[in-house]
Amino acid sequence: MMSLYQWLLWLYPAFHRREYGEEMTAVFCEARSEIEKKGAGTRAWFWLREIRGLLHGALAEHVRSLVGSHPWVLLPTRRFTMHSEFRFPKATPILMALILAGTVLAIEKAQAISASLPHINPPIGPIQPERLTFLPPVLLMFAVAYAAGLIGWMILFALKRSGVHRLSEMQDSAGR
Amino acid sequence: MQSLPLTEPVLLILLSLAGQPRHGYSILKDVEEMSDGRVVLSTGTLYGALRRLLDDGWIERFEEQESSRGRQAYRLTAGGRRSLQTEVSRMKRLTHLASLRVARKEA
Repeated sequence: MMSLYQWLLWLYPAFHRREYGEEMTAVFCEARSEIEKKGAGTRAWFWLREIRGLLHGALAEHVRSLVGSHPWVLLPTRRFTMHSEFRFPKATPILMALILAGTVLAIEKAQAISASLPHINPPIGPIQPERLTFLPPVLLMFAVAYAAGLIGWMILFALKRSGVHRLSEMQDSAGR
Repeated sequence: MQSLPLTEPVLLILLSLAGQPRHGYSILKDVEEMSDGRVVLSTGTLYGALRRLLDDGWIERFEEQESSRGRQAYRLTAGGRRSLQTEVSRMKRLTHLASLRVARKEA
């Protein structure tokens, strides 16, 4: 049965196994030596509890190693917990309104210029579909940019310098 | 950071360490004793909770000097003790309010 326990420990991430594996085994041995004096029902319940605890613990540790200690910061429903620096800046709506007004003005000016110079812009015939030769390079460019971004994020995550970690650190320091 | 309110196993682990530093098996036994056998932790659950508390700086791990085997033990940090006191105060206020409301209903 001890080998089953050690096999289940292998389901944990390597870091956790190195750091706590020996200690967990020692605690389990102490608990088992005490439970062996009791009845079969108690022993069976003990084993079920241990197996369930290890399976649940291993899964939780893998999730933690993937998304960090505080996965809820990734969820948009917890936006209200964000630090003020990460919120939508107040200047953004003004900037967006200015850009929109500029675009509308530019379109109006372009239409006015076009109407005053009809001989320069003869009517265009039916548009013929062209071969989309530019599409594969554009898609490739997006794919490369996405891959580069993903690799960069993974490096930052491994170094614990991703946005998630920085936010967590800021929240911790604000909490203290 | 551990979210408040704490779960019962985490609260019991912290209460167990509030009195004195303990090693893993001692925490298991103390939690069981404090809860009159209602909360029995498995090693997986215990070490998951200890790992989270260590990550959040509520407890710290050290090598037991008295033990010939060099066992690892755990103790509350100053921050962990403050957080535990905050949680206990919150629970006190809640139980006080509950007892007032229940008494008013009975009267």
